[in-house]
Amino acid sequence: MFVLIGGGGRTGTRLASLLLNQNYKVRLIEHRRELLTYLHQELPTEVIYEGNAVDPSVLEAAGIREANVVAAVTSEDATNLAICFVSKTMFEVPRTIARVNNPINAWLFNEKFKVDVALNSADVLAHLIQEEMSLGDMMTIFKIRRGSYSVVEEKVPAGAKAIGIQLKDMALAEHCVIAAIIRNGVMTLPRGDSTLKENDEIVAVASAQGAQMLSELLAHPVYPTRNGMKKE
Amino acid sequence: MNFIVVGCGRVGAELCYHLFKGGHQVVVVDSRRDSFNRLHPDFRGRTLEGEGLAESVLERAGIQEANGLAAVTNSDTLNAVVAHTARAFYNVPTVVARNYDPNLRPIIEAFGLQTVGSTYWGAQRVEELLMNPSQKVVYSAGNGEVEIYEIIIPESWNGKTLGDLMNPIKQCYPVALSRAGRASLPEAGTKLQTGDLLNVSSTFAGMGALTERLSKKAEA
Repeated sequence: MFVLIGGGGRTGTRLASLLLNQNYKVRLIEHRRELLTYLHQELPTEVIYEGNAVDPSVLEAAGIREANVVAAVTSEDATNLAICFVSKTMFEVPRTIARVNNPINAWLFNEKFKVDVALNSADVLAHLIQEEMSLGDMMTIFKIRRGSYSVVEEKVPAGAKAIGIQLKDMALAEHCVIAAIIRNGVMTLPRGDSTLKENDEIVAVASAQGAQMLSELLAHPVYPTRNGMKKE
Repeated sequence: MNFIVVGCGRVGAELCYHLFKGGHQVVVVDSRRDSFNRLHPDFRGRTLEGEGLAESVLERAGIQEANGLAAVTNSDTLNAVVAHTARAFYNVPTVVARNYDPNLRPIIEAFGLQTVGSTYWGAQRVEELLMNPSQKVVYSAGNGEVEIYEIIIPESWNGKTLGDLMNPIKQCYPVALSRAGRASLPEAGTKLQTGDLLNVSSTFAGMGALTERLSKKAEA
């Protein structure tokens, strides 16, 4: 697998290191002088291609015709959009992934600019923070493509109705499957006779209706207050 | 007509004024408020401070009703992306992207956009005038690769045919001949007279060859 990365900022450099560790073939394109010095300290020389990643002739010289994936991760949204568009229309790259810097530009990252996957840094981080803060609320990990199903994660709070009931007796069938239980950091694949305990985390595949049913079973009676005491 | 100009630099400000003087409704968008200081004092169009790629900014600029959009910032990538957005998301009938850095022209071409490269075009015109101060360009096609020139037939070619003059020259075609204020479509057999105004459509190289030939005396 050959991945071509446009942009050698922190994201691009980190991505290149990550992929190199997994034995991907990687090339990273960057033209800003001030970044190149740093890049040469971080990455093997043959990985770095000096040039403007938005320029079709640079993409071609960097080997885009052999690339399986192009990741456009510069700090400029217009550049990332143009890299994706050029990669697909001129070089028929199978998959394009783009970083969204400014959420107000997120609406452009779709098939009209030949973006297959858009990752909105601010949005991704905001969701992670929300997840860390969540007090047992259900988090959608991802929606299954264009379907009405999603993969959700939820922590089992103290006092939830579901505690102690065997999964097969929860009457969730057809709408929701509990796919994993994470207890004390260890993941197990549950069976029909498994039961949930307080502070378990569960991962489930659910329809919208199933997610609603699951959420009722896992409803926590009260939110903890700031000092950890429960409200009356 | 309704036009949106994205980028209020020198080119943008000048374009706004031209469109306004032509009686059109103009909205000019720039992310920096002080850019609007470049606008002509008589300009009476709307100024809109904001990012040219923001949906809310484009919609407030009236992109749904726009007849044309010009992306004329000093970033080629941004111009290409703004122009493509206007065309692909809003079906704006006419979009033009300015090419700022001639090296980045292929980006705009990759989007298949109409473009004007003021830097390249300006340099080429200055070069032409330096080389041949007497010839006049009356129309410039594309990015100036082909232009229509107006030349005056010198006495040395009086009485010769147009074919005699043009036949050995490549990349240069006669398009009109004006004599005493009347123009006609010239043919190879047309006899030239001193002072005739000849329009030719030509590349820079073709014009060089024609200029050289005109400066020599016709073979008998």
